[in-house]
Amino acid sequence: MTDPDNISTRHSALEHGRDAGEPPIRANRVTKEYIGGSIVALNDVSVDIHENQVTALIGPSGCGKTTLLRLIAGLEYPTRGNVQVYGQPISGPGPERGMVFQAYTSFPWLNVRENVEHGMKIQRIPKKEREKRAQHFLKQVHLSDFSESFPIQLSGGMKQRVAIARALAQDPQLLLLDEPFGALDAQVTWEMEEMIIEIIESENKTVILVTHDIQEAIYLADRILFFTRQPGEIKADIAMEFKQGKRFPRKEDLLVKPGYVEMEKRLYQMMREEIQGRIS
Amino acid sequence: MISADSGTQTRNNEQAAGNAPLYKPPRERFLEIRGSVGRNESFILGILGVVAFFGIWEICHYLTPASQQKFLPGVGQVVGKIYALILEKGYMADIGKSVYRIYVSFFVACLLAVPLGLLMGCFVKLRALINPTIGGLRYLPAASFVPLLLVYFGPTDFAKLALLFLGCVFFLIALILDNVLSVPKELIESAQTMGAKRTHIVLKVAFPAAAPQILDSMRNMIAVSWTYLVIAEIVAATDGIGAVMMRAARFLHVDIIMAGILTIGILGVLTDITFRVAARFLFPHEYTRR
Repeated sequence: MTDPDNISTRHSALEHGRDAGEPPIRANRVTKEYIGGSIVALNDVSVDIHENQVTALIGPSGCGKTTLLRLIAGLEYPTRGNVQVYGQPISGPGPERGMVFQAYTSFPWLNVRENVEHGMKIQRIPKKEREKRAQHFLKQVHLSDFSESFPIQLSGGMKQRVAIARALAQDPQLLLLDEPFGALDAQVTWEMEEMIIEIIESENKTVILVTHDIQEAIYLADRILFFTRQPGEIKADIAMEFKQGKRFPRKEDLLVKPGYVEMEKRLYQMMREEIQGRIS
Repeated sequence: MISADSGTQTRNNEQAAGNAPLYKPPRERFLEIRGSVGRNESFILGILGVVAFFGIWEICHYLTPASQQKFLPGVGQVVGKIYALILEKGYMADIGKSVYRIYVSFFVACLLAVPLGLLMGCFVKLRALINPTIGGLRYLPAASFVPLLLVYFGPTDFAKLALLFLGCVFFLIALILDNVLSVPKELIESAQTMGAKRTHIVLKVAFPAAAPQILDSMRNMIAVSWTYLVIAEIVAATDGIGAVMMRAARFLHVDIIMAGILTIGILGVLTDITFRVAARFLFPHEYTRR
């Protein structure tokens, strides 16, 4: 079973790295090949993710953005190079990197509250504390009234909110979002995006978001990493300077911000280059 | 314009005040592709099917020439025979013995198959090690073990339990393995990103995620177990439903044989219902609706 000493040493190693100024995530010349090299999802990618920022990974389908996120999560390993979390090489998944998947991952046999408490249970957090934190995060994702419901009773958007609350409740240093709204309709996606802004403002997490939605990336991110189609490389590393460090609780307020249209146009043009490259 | 309007209003006076009239969709045919069936309707149709089955049986009985009728007794005679067997021949003890054999052998089979299927579903190398063997053993007909079991254990109760066990355990393992393999990858991965270790993932994620399907596999396999009962009880039969039937065969007592078949059928249906009810209690999350 879990060895509590082991966890604490690992955590303290991360804290140590953080204090020494190591970035939350550092990818060192990462290459990821599949099927013996016939697919190169990532090709010699080096990048640092900055603390307390929202970094969006964006690019055409199959560009390796999800692959990079899965390497960061520790669910897969690179073919070449390495990925570090606060200077420590990643040797598998860990609770300091909470993840929300595109597929619904609420455990159907647990009610909403038990789902949110599950990660904390794994970490042996006392019951009182678990309940307190579950309550807090359920409130934050507007699900307080559904704490005793089963996932089967929830809509797709609500299930994703459970997943977000569950990931936050394990108190990760990094929140990894893998196209979390990919299966939701446009209106629900919009609501979820604004909710994410609320959460980022109050929780101060380092967030890495994989998305194929240009507007979503601009709205949520402080920095966008644009990936080329296979073999995946970073085509552009764009800081959202036009937002002047602000985040907008209402999406429409962003749309009228000077510089927004130019940013969107630039990203669409980059996307077109990548897609047309594939067709020709 | 105004007069036309008021004319419409007078015509639809009743509806104008309240809701629009109910829309009558075209009548659904009996054989409607992906049609609908209500709870009551479904129940009535089910009963109708059962009645039709016994009706056809009864008709066949009356169409049989009187001299041959003892080879195809009517429904009433067979049901009456069950009753008579219970009252006069201690049939309840035979039923009890058969039920005991089925449930004990099946329980032991589950005791092996559930952990094995779960572990094989979670650990690829274990699966590679064990699955080819299990896959092969599945093709061995259970009846072919009868002589072997007789040599090993003689005409004991244990031999019968062993046969029933062998009849279902390999299929059960294969089915449970499939159930565990069909647990979505993302459920396991999300547990890993919460920091879950292997033991936790096997016992607290993979098992509960697959449990409803595992119970369903068990329900299907215990039905197969019932089909092996008579074969098992042929092995130097002394008691049990199968033994009663084999003894009757020697004296051409077709009514007793059919009484036995009917008894097994009824017990099978009851077993099935038990499993369905158990599923509702064990997995409320599967049956809750908004």
